[in-house]
Amino acid sequence: MKARILDRADVLKIVDLLRQQGREVFAPFGGRGRDTCYDKVTDENRNQIQIHLANPYYPPKRFIFPHIERLLKVQRQDGGIQIEPTYREPKRAIFGIRSCDVAGIWHLDRFFMGRDFRDIYYEKRRKNIFLVNVVCTDPARDIGEECFCVCADTGPAAREHFDLQLMDLGDGEFMAVAGTPAGEALFSAPFFRKGAEAHIAKRRAILGEVRKSFKPSTTSWFSAAIRHVSAGTIQEKTWEEIGRRCLECGGCTYVCPACTCFTVSDRQVGPNEVERVRIWDSCALGGFTRMAGGHNPRKAVHDRRNRRFFRKLSHYFIQRELSMACVGCGRCAAVCHGDIGMPSVVEMIRRETAEVDKHEPVAR
Amino acid sequence: MNPSPAENIYLPKIAVLDRVVDEIAEVKTFYWRFVDPAEQAAFKKFRPGQFAQVSLFGVGEFPASLPPSPTEQETFFTVKQVGSCSAALHQLKAGDKFAVRGPYGNGFPMEEYYGKNLVFVAGGIGLIPLRSCIIYALAHREKYKNIQIFLGAKTPRDLMYRDNLREWEKSAGVECHLTVDRAADGWTGNVGVVGSLFKKPGVQVAVEDTVAFVCGPPVMFRFVIKDLKALGFQDRQIVSTLERYMKCGVGKCGHCCIGVAYVCVDGPVFTYEQIQKLGEDI
Repeated sequence: MKARILDRADVLKIVDLLRQQGREVFAPFGGRGRDTCYDKVTDENRNQIQIHLANPYYPPKRFIFPHIERLLKVQRQDGGIQIEPTYREPKRAIFGIRSCDVAGIWHLDRFFMGRDFRDIYYEKRRKNIFLVNVVCTDPARDIGEECFCVCADTGPAAREHFDLQLMDLGDGEFMAVAGTPAGEALFSAPFFRKGAEAHIAKRRAILGEVRKSFKPSTTSWFSAAIRHVSAGTIQEKTWEEIGRRCLECGGCTYVCPACTCFTVSDRQVGPNEVERVRIWDSCALGGFTRMAGGHNPRKAVHDRRNRRFFRKLSHYFIQRELSMACVGCGRCAAVCHGDIGMPSVVEMIRRETAEVDKHEPVAR
Repeated sequence: MNPSPAENIYLPKIAVLDRVVDEIAEVKTFYWRFVDPAEQAAFKKFRPGQFAQVSLFGVGEFPASLPPSPTEQETFFTVKQVGSCSAALHQLKAGDKFAVRGPYGNGFPMEEYYGKNLVFVAGGIGLIPLRSCIIYALAHREKYKNIQIFLGAKTPRDLMYRDNLREWEKSAGVECHLTVDRAADGWTGNVGVVGSLFKKPGVQVAVEDTVAFVCGPPVMFRFVIKDLKALGFQDRQIVSTLERYMKCGVGKCGHCCIGVAYVCVDGPVFTYEQIQKLGEDI
């Protein structure tokens, strides 16, 4: 992969280049306190784009897999039905996407386009989006209490699946790495220059340091939890405990960059016109598996929680998608009122395993 | 990324209803065909046990079993009115249009069962998906050994596909036993649960080289499994088809995902051995 150096003062010129290509560019902006969000870049807000900030809770996956998306427009006339698929393939770019969210999009790619049935709505949006990844290097602003990309092996610097990657080298310089030919094409702009060996050494040194700034986390036990979930060795009472703490709000799934579930709904938009839309759905909600007539094979909350973590962590699904449905962003931990985000669940599984430790009674 | 354009997996094709037949209370059979003959021809390659997504625009889409066998001419659904979509379908009359996509799912591996005995056990509307297999097996009669059908219904009025039942009862190539929970309307046949038919004098259910198809309400399913196991059936000799809430039918919406399977693409047909590993109720 080719890399170039640019000055800090020129970083937002990349946004300008992407806008000149006719792209809608979405970038992170700061609000008050921890309040951050992705928003569309305009001439007015362009200078307020933040390079270092807490990763917004509402994940950027929505620019490819929108929260609500129309699939079909259906018209009835003279006893006939006209069905028209409604595709949207806007030219877009996400500037400043974090490495965990890049991994999330890669997971969605595998899920929606990697198997027998390919999702054309996803595919059309995906092929028109350009990803500018920013490496999390600032321990104070970029890395949150809940971040565990180092355990999920998705960050702090994504290794692939971006078009362009930016990394703050300090001292007013950034390194840009091209991940695709489209990314490399940007290097023809005059503000990019060739780097020196020293820049590479600096990148290595920074990444080495950044790793240390993650909080000592329960998720260092992540891979062991994956093994236990896959093997089905976790006791029912642990899932029940997790279930008791679940408020069934669905928050974890809405902020998850790797969740894919959706429901489909028809809505009347005119006297003879209906549109069929898909809307993000959540396995935390009681009606997720309820069938017509009321039979619900997965009624208990803990069964639904068990399901979520099995779907995300089991070896079977990791192999099926060749990608894991947890990217270590920590959002579920940040939004969960019952404190059963991924890190806590890993910790609960670890404690349970310690409890069932098969030691010999000393006094026997 | 794969460069070739994908087809739209969510796009249903327009179908027209030819006629509607009352089956039993709240259950009707809807004979339909695609408006486009090419779609119809493509759809006709379905396998017994597969399903289709039925669209009633403005209400929604629901998965429906395919009761016809691919060896038959007509395509139809038999649907019980339980939710909003099935209620909307029940409102339709001959000539009305709706939309269908599919067929989806794995279906029963009928070719794998060549040379075996087939035992069909159905309760109530559980006969809907099994009808396809039965007709298919009878159309390829020489490929299979004994074929036995055991059917249960609440009352004689709840027996579906009566023309077929009469045929099967008369046919030399198949043994057909019926039972009802409560006799009425001058019923002189068996009374009792469907499993009681296995012990009826003169009935011999061979276990060796046999596949048992079981479909019906969860309670019936549990008892029939017990009865079959008492006869000596192994879990892998018992096959069934699972029902789940589904939105897409193509492994994307996530609703029907249980254990390591998406019921819509990996199922809906599973052996009882697989069902137990999936770890969820029927």
